[in-house]
This record gives sequence, structure tokens and C-alpha cells, in this order.
Amino acid sequence: MDKNKGAAYTQGLITLVVLAVLTGAEYGIAVALPSLWVALIVIALIKAAIVIQFFMHIARVFREEGGHS
Amino acid sequence: MKILKLGIIRGVIAQIVGTAAGVGLVTGLRALMGLPAWAAEPAAVGGALIGIICFLAGVGALTDWWKWALGEEVEDHHGPDPRGWERYFGVSVDHKVIGIQYGVTSVALLLVAGSFALTFRTELVASGIQFLSPALYNTLMGLHGIVMIAAILLGVGAMSNYLVPLMIGARDMAFPRLNAFAYWVNVPGAVLVVSTLFLGGFDTGWTGYPPLSARAPLAMQMFFLGVYVVGLSSILGSLNIIVTTLRMRAPGMNMFRMPIFVWASFATALIGLTATQLIGLSFQMVMIQRLFGMGFFDPEKGGNVILFQHLFWFYSHPAVYVFILPGLGIVSELLPVFARKPLFGYKWIAMSSLAIALVGFLVWAHHMFTAGMEEYLRVPFMYATLLVAVPTGVKFFSWVGTIWRGKLEFPTPMLFTLGAVVVFLFGGLTGPPNGTVATDLHLHDTYWVVGHFHNTMFGGFVYPFFASIYYWFPKITGRKLDERLGKIHFWLMTPAFWVMTFGMMWIGLLGMRRRIADYDPAQGFDGVHLVLTIAAFVLATSILVFVINLIFSVKGGEAAEGNVWRSRSPEWQIASPAPEHNYDRPFKVVGEPYDYGLPGSTYVDMNPAMAGD
Amino acid sequence: MSADTAHMTDYKFKLSNNRLGLWLFILSDSFVFGGLLVTRYYLLGGHRPELDQMLGLIVTSVLLVSSFFMNRAETAIAHGDRQNFIVSTAITMILGIGFLVGVIGFEWRTAPFGPSDGAAGSVFYMMTGMHAFHVLTGVLFLFVVLRNGLRGRYSAERHWAVEACANYWHFVDVVWIFFYPALYLLGTPAG
Repeated sequence: MDKNKGAAYTQGLITLVVLAVLTGAEYGIAVALPSLWVALIVIALIKAAIVIQFFMHIARVFREEGGHS
Repeated sequence: MKILKLGIIRGVIAQIVGTAAGVGLVTGLRALMGLPAWAAEPAAVGGALIGIICFLAGVGALTDWWKWALGEEVEDHHGPDPRGWERYFGVSVDHKVIGIQYGVTSVALLLVAGSFALTFRTELVASGIQFLSPALYNTLMGLHGIVMIAAILLGVGAMSNYLVPLMIGARDMAFPRLNAFAYWVNVPGAVLVVSTLFLGGFDTGWTGYPPLSARAPLAMQMFFLGVYVVGLSSILGSLNIIVTTLRMRAPGMNMFRMPIFVWASFATALIGLTATQLIGLSFQMVMIQRLFGMGFFDPEKGGNVILFQHLFWFYSHPAVYVFILPGLGIVSELLPVFARKPLFGYKWIAMSSLAIALVGFLVWAHHMFTAGMEEYLRVPFMYATLLVAVPTGVKFFSWVGTIWRGKLEFPTPMLFTLGAVVVFLFGGLTGPPNGTVATDLHLHDTYWVVGHFHNTMFGGFVYPFFASIYYWFPKITGRKLDERLGKIHFWLMTPAFWVMTFGMMWIGLLGMRRRIADYDPAQGFDGVHLVLTIAAFVLATSILVFVINLIFSVKGGEAAEGNVWRSRSPEWQIASPAPEHNYDRPFKVVGEPYDYGLPGSTYVDMNPAMAGD
Repeated sequence: MSADTAHMTDYKFKLSNNRLGLWLFILSDSFVFGGLLVTRYYLLGGHRPELDQMLGLIVTSVLLVSSFFMNRAETAIAHGDRQNFIVSTAITMILGIGFLVGVIGFEWRTAPFGPSDGAAGSVFYMMTGMHAFHVLTGVLFLFVVLRNGLRGRYSAERHWAVEACANYWHFVDVVWIFFYPALYLLGTPAG
């Protein structure tokens, strides 16, 4: 229980906003600068990392105890 | 109706009903969508798919999950299984029962696949067509391959399911229900694969390459679906092994104090878990191409057949390491027991298993040197392939080091273990010529490759599998297999095998093509093929001796209580057959696993002072 | 693994096993989607299927928002907030169904090609189909969790099913994070 309820909800909301901004950026890049495909791949990787870390809580799998955050 | 109490009978009935229902459903849907109602292929695929699900529901492998979905509480274990033989014919979550189910199914499929081989081997006894039509020859040849692969995967499942929890001191696998599911899903899969014989056969061999497989008869779909299902079993079984190994070890057993077979099993599971998905995907794509006219592998529609080969071999090369790694683990496990000496270089062996598994992911395209693949891929894949020889060499070095100046004993399991070492050595030495581009261009698709492959499979799986059966049979049944019959088995099988495999390689070098029903008498291979066929029948006789031995020893074998091989491994420190809960109390690992012959060394403390630590 | 495993409650021990098992399943499943991405780049290279980019952005947003509500549902149950858990789970499920309607109902109907029209069509229908199948199983999973949640099966201490469902759902989202640029954004439309 390292975080209280409100903070956990806020973290979810911030994650959503960041992901939304990145998705918008992807779309913008694809429409405006189609040659910049590397940026799209980088953004996709960043988005995936954010989801895995903040939505899927990958760190939990490495924790010995079964406790919840 | 006592027979209906057996899960497998209910499952098979459900599969038949489900297949019929699936055929009806697809036909009905097509009619509703305004398509011509009857189309054999979609109906057959739909039927087969629903048949598989119905089999699993009928046998009872899904019951607990269904209850869970309905919100009921379900326990992992439901109390004791029925006594006697009935428990092997229904769903049990006990890893020992499942291991035996795997093992018996594996031996049964080995016999089926072997009889396919004998049949087409007899056809090859002389040039000209004797009694098989070329189409039937192709089907039998493909089925020999794929049924053997299924049998080997099941044999690997048998060894790892039965042994891993016992060896690491766990009560059961991490996910017992998933374990039962992973076994039972094989049964409808095997039914589908063998059903190809009655649905017109398929002529692609076990690899199922498009474009031929995109045009082959209906049976091709059953082949793909059956293999897909067997692959699913492999994936789920691997997942279970990894979690069990990582999470369920006895106190004091760190990763480098595990019995070496557990390492082999773990490395195998890493391949099975991941790479298997890609053979599944490649087969699925051909299935879908056939059903919906998609163009993945159809050059006219912008597809590319080489893509299939990449996806297919990404699994199917690592798959051979799935076949051999557990076997090599068995060799490392048994040699110290019968040499009464420590295993030479434990950590190196453990790491070499892992290395073979990981390098195995980077070598697949050596199957495609002649396929018209991208040129620049050839040399990197050649070197990656040759790299596999390094960890394999580490294993041989360790085996020789273990035997060196040991007090060797030669009961049947040891004979098969030493047989495995020698046979696999030749399998290994005949490999690099196939892996180097310059020689492979000549050797590709010849009988040389067949000889090489059978060497690796016999050395890497068949011999160790037999060794493990002879070795752990007393553990499983409380009785020993007959030594005399065991030695007859070995001394019949080994020379016959050598004749067969060297004969194959010899005519392969002279230009005998593989996968063909007939050959030109002018090539002068008739005599060799006659000898090969005789050798195959001698080999089959030895297997018959083995089966007879199994059947008679289950009830009538010499009673073998306790630690018959004077092993240090924990599973031999308890009663045979192992009690349902494996260990009455958790044991504690206090020393190194393979310090045979070192005075005063202990591996496990079966009665640690306090159960509380 | 260590000496204190014996002290752990049975549930917590199994929970750790389950977590590892689910992640391994996700790893395994990601090889399927990896294979599909390889197929896409192998066959289409610098081209992409000719699709409505706006519709792609809409379905992507729907899935992203659903992931947010899924996370909210899990956070809620972990803190014992059952009301919020039920509502968020229901919203996630509705958004999931919305995504399926968007892809299967609109995209598949409006795409200028069918599954048998060339490599682009094959790749598009295979990728979206495989992904939609996973979304569908996720929706079914959500339905089971919602139904059992309504009957009070989950608590702050015991809610592995919710966590598993959430992780599976997020995984499906991660797959789409890679599929979205591969299908809608990268390269030039294949005529």
C-alpha cells in the first residue's frame, strides 16, 4: 500500500493524457511529415513502454510478496 | 454404462457430435449469408474446430474453468483420483498421472508413426512401384514425420511433467488444471492428424510448404489444425514448466543446485513457449488463405512463399532443440549415477542447454539455402548454425569427463545412455556439412539429410527416452523392467540403426533424393535399399521386444522398492511408486546434486529439523 | 524460492505464480503479433493499405480510453471501491464492443478491398482479424469479471481475476499501439 487511492487514480489519468498526446503526435507526424517514419516507431515503443509500466505494472511480477500497491 | 465414466470415451463421443454440429453450423451460416450452402472445406474446418472444443468439454478439461466463470469457488485438487487404471483415462490434475498419460500416448504414437515408416520403407525395397500409390506414399511419409514429431513432443512432455516437480520437491506443477488441459488437447489433435489418411491424404510432407499446401486436398486443413492444436499443448506445457521451475523449488535449491534435467527442461520450455507460436501462425495463414482466398503465399496476389518458410522454420528449427535438449539432460542426469562420479562441469552443462536454446533462435534460415532466399542472409545464418556446435561440444566434453576413470556399471539404462552419446555424436558431426552453404547446396533434399536427422533424433531423443523409461520405470510402477529383454532391445536396435543411418547417408551422397516414392534402377541403389528395409524391420522387432517388456513388467516385473540405482536425486529417497502428495514434508537441499563417490557429501536432507524454515 | 515462501499465505503464493504465468502467456502471444508485423513489412514494405486514417484514429482513441477505464477499475477494486470498479468495468466493456463495431462493422465494410484482393487486403484483414479476436475474448473476460463482480466475488485483497483481465486488456492495447502505425500511418498507400 505505497500509494493512496487518490494518487493511484491521478496516475491513471496522467498516463491517459500522455498517451493521448503521443497518439495525436503520431497522427500529426503521419499526415504532415510522412517521411519521418522513424519517429512513429519510436513513439509506438514509448507508448508501449508507458502502458506496460503504468497500466500493466510489470514490476509486480518481480516482487516476491503478493502484496498490492 | 460404466464405460461412459471414462473421460476419454465421453470426449470422443463429444468430438464426433461436435464435429457434426460444426459442419451443420457452418453450412447453416453460409446459407444465411446467401452463399452456396455446401462447401466441403469450410464445413470440415468449422466442424473440426468445434469438435476439438467439444472433446475438451466432454472429457472434462474445461469443467473447472467453466465453474470459475460462473463464479463458483474451485480447488486445484479435487481429492484422490479413482484407483487403478481408470484414472489414466480421464482428467486428473496429478502431474504424475499426466506424465504417464503423456508417456503412454507418446509410445503409442511412436508405434503408429513407426509403422507408417515401415510401410513406405517396404515400398522402397526395390525400384519401381510395388504396392503403394505415389499419393499414398506421400501421405504416409508426411504422416511419419508429423506423428513422430507429435510423439516426441509428448515424450518430452512425459519426462518433464513426471520428473520436474518430483526433482525440485514441488507437490505438483504450478498450474495443475492447465497441465491437464495441455495433455488432453493433444488427443483431438492426434485424431485430426491421423484422419488425413481417410480424407484423401496430403502430399506436402510434414513441412506443408505452400504453394503446394495451398492446393492440396482437404486433408491438408485437418493436418494444419491438428498440428496447431498439438503446438498449443506444447506452449501451455512450457509455460507451466517455466513457472514451476522458477517458483516451486524446495528450500535451499538455488538454480545451480537443481538436478541437471530440470535445466534442460527449462531451456526447452523457453523455446516451446515462444517459437511454437510462429509455426502456428504460418499454418494458420495457409489455412486462412485456403478458406478466404487471401494472398499471403500467392505470388499472383503479391504474396511470397519464402515468407512461409521464414515463419515456419523460426519454430521448426528450434523445435529440434525441443526434441533433443531434454534427452541430453537425461544423459547428463544418468551418466554420473552409473559412473559413480560427480558430473563434470555442472554449470557449463546448465548454461550450454540455455545457450543451445538461445542460439537456436538465430539459425532457422539454414533450411532455406536452396529456396531462393535473400542472398545476404546465407553467411550469417551459416555462422550462427556452426555456433551451435560450441555448447553441444561442451556437453560432450562434460560427458567424457564424467565417464573418465569412473566405475562404470552397465544396466540397460546406462547402455541406452552411452548409445545416446555415440549416436548423437554422429548426428552432431554430420550436421555442419548441412549448415555450410557450399556443401548444403549439394546435400539439400538428399538421403544424407535423412540419415543425419535420424541420427540426431535417435541420439537426442529415442535413446535417452528409452534410457529414462528403463531408469524411472521402478519409480513409476514399483517394478523393474526385465533386464534381459532390455539388453536384447538394445543390442537389436543399435546395429540395425547404424546400418540404416549409414546406408541412408551413403546413398544420399551418391544422389538418392528424399521424399520420393521411386528411384531409377540405373542409380544402383536397389541393393542398399533392400538392406535398409531389412534393418528397419530389425529395428521394429527391437521396439516390439520393448513393448512386450513394458506390458509384462507392469504387473509381473521384479519388485523394486526404494533407491534401486543408488541415486542422490530426491525422487529416489521416497517410496515407489511416489505417493500422491510426493513428499510428506518439504525436504531441504544442503549440498551439490552430483557429488557421487565423494565421502560424506549429501544433496538433500529429507527430514530437515524444523518444517518452519 | 527463498525460505520465507513457507510463511506466505497460499493465496499470495499462487498470486505470484499466476502473475508470472500470465506474463509468460503474454510473451508467447506477442510472438504471434510479432509474426504478423513481420508479414506486414515483408509483403508490403513501404506501402500501407489504403484506409480511412480518421476512422483509424477514432478506433485507436476508443481502445486507449478503454484501457484507462480498465486501469481505473483495477485501481478501484484494489482500494475496495466496489461502486467505481463496477462502473469502470462496464465502461471498458462497452468501449471494447465499440472498438469491435468500429473495426469489423465500419472498417471492414468501407475498406476499398476484400480479403482476397492482393497482399494489402490479406495483411489488413489478418492483422485486424487476429486482433479483433483477442478483443472479443477480452470482452468475454470482462463480462465474466463484471458478472462475478456484481455478485461481490472480489475484494481489495482477492481480485486476481480482475488483475488478469486488466493485464490482458492492456496487452491487447499494446498490440494495437504497434498495429495502428503499421496499418494506418507508415508509408504510402498501396494503390
